[in-house]
Amino acid sequence: MRIFVFLTRRMIFAALLMLGVSAAIFFLVNSIGNPIELMMAETPGMTGEVIDRMKAYYGLDHPPMTRYLLWLSRIAQLDFGTSIVYNQPVGSLIVTWGWQTLKIQLPAILIALAIAILFGVTAARRQHSRSDFAVMATALLGQSLPAFFLGILLIFIFSYSLDWLPSYGAYSTRNPLWGSPTLDALWHMVLPVAMLTFFNTATLTLLMRSNMVDVLKSDFIAAMRASGIPERRVIYVHALRAAFIPMLTYLGLLIGLMLGTAPVTESVFTWPGLGYLYISAIHQLDYPVIMGASAVIAFMLICTTLLTDVIYVLIDPRISLE
Amino acid sequence: MSDQTITAHPPSSAKPARRPVKGIWRQGWQRFARSRTGMLGLILVLLVVATAVVGPFVAPFDPQDQSPMIDPGAKAPPSWVHPLGTDRMGYDVASRVIYGAPTALAVGLGAMSIASLIGVLVGGFAGYRGGTTDEVLMRFTDFFLVIPMFVVILAVIRLLGVAVVNTPFESVPYLNLGVIILLIGVFSWAPIARMTRAEFLRLKNQEFVEAARCIGATSGDILFRHILPNALPSLVVIVALGIGGAVLAEAMIGFLGFGDPAAVSWGQLLYFNYEALKVAPWASLSPGVAIFITVLGFNLLADGLTDAFNPRAKR
Amino acid sequence: MSSLATAKPTAAMSIDDRSMLTPPVHDLVRVENLRIQFPPWNAPVRIIEDVSFQVRAGETMGIVGESGSGKTLSSLAILNLLPPPARITGGRIMFDGEDLAAKSQGEMQKLRGRRLAMVFQNPGYSLNPLMTVGAQLGEILKVHEKMPRSMALQRVEELFRLVGITDPGSRLSQYPHEMSGGMKQRVCIARALLCNPALVLADEPTTALDVTIQAQILDLFEDLKARFGMSMIFVTHDMGVVARIADRITVMYAGQVCETGDKHAIFARPSHPYTQALLASTPRIDRRYAIDGEGRRERLPTVGRAVAPGQSLGGGCRFAGRCPEAAPECSRLVPQAAAIEPGRVVHCLKRGSAGVASHD
Ligand SMILES: Nc1ncnc2c1ncn2[C@@H]1O[C@H](COP(=O)(O)OP(=O)(O)O)[C@@H](O)[C@H]1O
Ligand code: SF4
Ligand SMILES: [Mg+2]
Repeated sequence: MRIFVFLTRRMIFAALLMLGVSAAIFFLVNSIGNPIELMMAETPGMTGEVIDRMKAYYGLDHPPMTRYLLWLSRIAQLDFGTSIVYNQPVGSLIVTWGWQTLKIQLPAILIALAIAILFGVTAARRQHSRSDFAVMATALLGQSLPAFFLGILLIFIFSYSLDWLPSYGAYSTRNPLWGSPTLDALWHMVLPVAMLTFFNTATLTLLMRSNMVDVLKSDFIAAMRASGIPERRVIYVHALRAAFIPMLTYLGLLIGLMLGTAPVTESVFTWPGLGYLYISAIHQLDYPVIMGASAVIAFMLICTTLLTDVIYVLIDPRISLE
Repeated sequence: MSDQTITAHPPSSAKPARRPVKGIWRQGWQRFARSRTGMLGLILVLLVVATAVVGPFVAPFDPQDQSPMIDPGAKAPPSWVHPLGTDRMGYDVASRVIYGAPTALAVGLGAMSIASLIGVLVGGFAGYRGGTTDEVLMRFTDFFLVIPMFVVILAVIRLLGVAVVNTPFESVPYLNLGVIILLIGVFSWAPIARMTRAEFLRLKNQEFVEAARCIGATSGDILFRHILPNALPSLVVIVALGIGGAVLAEAMIGFLGFGDPAAVSWGQLLYFNYEALKVAPWASLSPGVAIFITVLGFNLLADGLTDAFNPRAKR
Repeated sequence: MSSLATAKPTAAMSIDDRSMLTPPVHDLVRVENLRIQFPPWNAPVRIIEDVSFQVRAGETMGIVGESGSGKTLSSLAILNLLPPPARITGGRIMFDGEDLAAKSQGEMQKLRGRRLAMVFQNPGYSLNPLMTVGAQLGEILKVHEKMPRSMALQRVEELFRLVGITDPGSRLSQYPHEMSGGMKQRVCIARALLCNPALVLADEPTTALDVTIQAQILDLFEDLKARFGMSMIFVTHDMGVVARIADRITVMYAGQVCETGDKHAIFARPSHPYTQALLASTPRIDRRYAIDGEGRRERLPTVGRAVAPGQSLGGGCRFAGRCPEAAPECSRLVPQAAAIEPGRVVHCLKRGSAGVASHD
C-alpha cells in the first residue's frame, strides 16, 4: 500500500518533469523562428503559398502555445507526426533507429559493469598496491579520453591499419561476412561497443573501487569475517551488494543518457541509430523528427531516474517510503 | 560507572572563533603539491594556457593561410616546415592546433563563469534561506539535470544559424561560438548549485559564522566574507571538472559539424579531417590529442584539488 | 561504581590467598610477546609491543586502557583479522595448543564464529544494514553447522530469547535500522554465542550505548558468563566495568602491558604507577578526591590517539612522560615482566622489572 502511494507520487512528479522539459525544448526551439519558414529559407524557389500549405500540413500554422498543446496531446497518444525528409511516421522511425542504438549501448553498459566490478573490487582489496595504482591511473586516463576520439583511434588502428574490423555501419552493404547476417551484424558491433564500453568502464571502475574501499572498512564486514563467513562470500556477496547500491544512481544516469550521447558515437561509426537519425534531422531541419527524438531522449532520462528511485526502495531496506 | 572517564579532555580554551580561510588555502596548497596527479594536471593546464597565450605569436602559419595547398599540397605528411603535416584543406595542422587552444580555453572558462554565477546564486540562496525557497529552487535544479543538454544545444545552434541569415546578427563576430558558450554554461550550472547549497547548509551553522552573527555582521557580510570563501575550496574542484567538461562538449559540437565556422576549434578540425583519417591521420589525431591533453589536465587538476581540500572525499 | 565497594581489601586478600594454593588452571588463550606494527617497514610504527597475557578456561579477562592504547588491535590480532596494513611481527597467540598467528586465513575462518567470536564496539555499524538480522545470523549457522534454514532460524530465535530480546520470533525478520541500539547489541551478542564458542572477545560492548542500556547489557554479560561458562576477553576503558565483569585484569598503556593479575589483587594493591593513577581517578565511594584550585576533581590529562606514532612509541617505558615516579633510565629501558605475587606480573623498573635497552 505504501509502495503504491510512493509510486504514484513519483510518477506524478516524473510526469510534471516531462511536461516541463518538453515545454522547455519546444519553446527554446520555436523561439528561434517558425521551423517551416527556417527550413524553406534554405530551399530556394519556394513560393509563399507552398510554404503556407506546408505549415498547414505539418500543423505549424498556429501560434506557438496552441502548437505546443497540440503537439503534446498528439505525443500523449504516441503520435509524433510525420517526418518531412523520410515521409514516414516519426514514431516508427524512432523505434527502428532506436533499436540500433540500444543494440550497441546496452551491451556496452553491461560489459562495462562486469569489468568495473572485477577491477574495482580487485583494486579496493589491495588498496595502495601497484595493481590498485594501475587500475586508478588507467581509469583516470580513460575518463579524460573523449569517447569520440577513442572511437577515431580504434578505427584508425583496427580498421585502417590492421584491417581487422569494419569502420562504419551496422551491416555489410553487399555480401554479409561469412555469409551469415547475424555474424556480420555482430562483427560490425565490435568497435562501437568497444568504444562505449571503455568510456563507461572508466567512471564505473573508479566508483566501484571507492565504494568498495569504504564498505571494506566498515564494521559489519569485520564482524562478518569475525563470524567466520568465508572471505569470498564476504567480498562478492555482502560487500559487493553494499558497494553496488550507491552506483545505481550513476548507472541509471548512464542508461538514461545513452540516447543523449548517441549522436557523437553514431557519427563516428556512421551507425544507423537514433543519434544518427537525430543529427541528420537537424542538418536537414526535419522538424517533427527533431521534436520527437528529443522528447523521447528526455523521456528516457526521466524514466530511468524514476526507475532508479524505485529500485533503491526495493533493494535498500534503509530507505523509507516517506 | 559511566561518569568516570580516563580520557578527560582539557578544558577547551576560549579562543575567539576565527575564520579559517587563509589556513585552508595554505594547507590546501601544501597537500596539492604532494599530489602527483594534481601537479601533473597543473602542468598540463599551464601548458595549454601557455599555448593559448604565446602560441599565436609563434605559430608558423596564420590559421586562415591555405597557401600550403600549393607547396606540399593538402594532406602532406609531417615535415620540417609543417611539423604536424597539412590537412584536407591545405592548412598547416600545427598552427591550427595552436590557434585552437585560445578557443578551447574561452569555451571552458566562459561557460564555467556563466555556470558558476548561476549555480552559486541559486545554490547559495537555496542553502542560506532554506525552507520553501530551498525546496523550490532545488526542484528547479533537478529539472535542469534531466534536460538532454547536448541534444538541445545542437538543435538550437542549427536553427539559429538559419534564423540569423539576413539579419543584423549575421555580422556579430563569433556569434555561434558565443551562443555555444552561453548554452553550455546555462546547461551546466545544476551540479554547482547542488554543491553550493550543500556547502552553505554545512557552513551556515558553524561556530565562526554564528560568532560573526553574534557580533552583528550583516547578512551580506556573512554570506560574502564568511560563508562563500569557505565554500570555495569545494567549488573550485567542481568548476575545474566543469571546465574540462565544457571543452569536451564544445569539441563534440564541433566534431558533429555545428561549430562556429569563423573560429578555429579542435572539434571542427576533427570534423573537417575525419573523412581523410586513412590518408592523413595526423590531421585528425593532432587535434584529438590536444582535446585529450586539455580535458585530462583539468580532470587531474580537479583530482589534486580534491586531495588538497577534501582529502576525506577520496580513498 | 557500587560494585567497586565490594572489592574490599580483606575479601580480595582471601581470594588471592586461595588462588595461591590451587594448582594452575588450564590456559585457554596465551598471548605471548605479541607485537603489531604498521608500515613503513624500514622504520615500523610499533603499535603493540611485547604484549602478553593469559585467559583461563571459563574466566573473563578484562583489558583496560585508555583509547588508543591498542586494545582493539590486540583483540583483532587474536582473530588474525588485523586491518591492513597492520601486521603481527612477533610473538604467538596460543589457543587450544595452536598458534593462531601462524594459521592461514582459511584455517582461521573455520575457527572464527565457531570457537572464537567477537562483539564489536558499535552495534549500529556491526550488523549488515541490508539483511534481516535473522538472515545474517542464520548464515553463520549455515556456514559452521551446515544447518538448514528453518532449523538455523529456530536456533537464532532461541538465542534471541536467551539474550533478552522481547518477541524474538518477529525480530528475526527485522532489519538493523528498525531496532534500538541496545537491541542491536543484544543481537550482536546472540551472534557471538550462536555456535557456543570457547572464547568471546567483547570490544567495549557498552561504550556506544546509553547509560541505562549499558547497565542492562553488563547484566546480560554477567548472566551469560554464568550460564555458558565460556571464556571472555572483555575490553574496556572503564575501571568500573572491569570491576564488575572481569576475573582478572590486564592494564595496557600505549601498546604495552603495565600489569596483569587477579582483579581483587589489582584493586586492592595496584602496583604499576599507571594503574595507581587510573584507580585514583576512578570515583569510589570509599575514597576522597583531591580538588584542584578551580574546584575540579583532578584528572589525568588525555593521551588518546595523540600518542604520536614514532616518538612516544619508541624505546623505554611508554608511560615515562606522565609517570610521577619516572627516573632517567625509564625512557631508555623497556621494563620486562616481573612477578610480584603468584599470577601477578608488573612491568615497571621501580617495581623490580629488569630493564632492556630497546633494540634500535
Ligand atoms: N590504520 C592505522 N594506521 C596507523 N595507526 C593506527 C591505525 N589503526 C590504529 N592505529 C593506531 O593503533 C593504536 C591502537 O588503536 P586501537 O587498538 O584502536 O586502540 P583502542 O582500541 O585501545 O582504543 C592507536 O593509537 C592508533 O593510533
Ligand atoms: S618504568 Fe619508570 S616510567 Fe615506567 S611506570 Fe615504572 S617508574 Fe614510571
Ligand atoms: Mg578500540
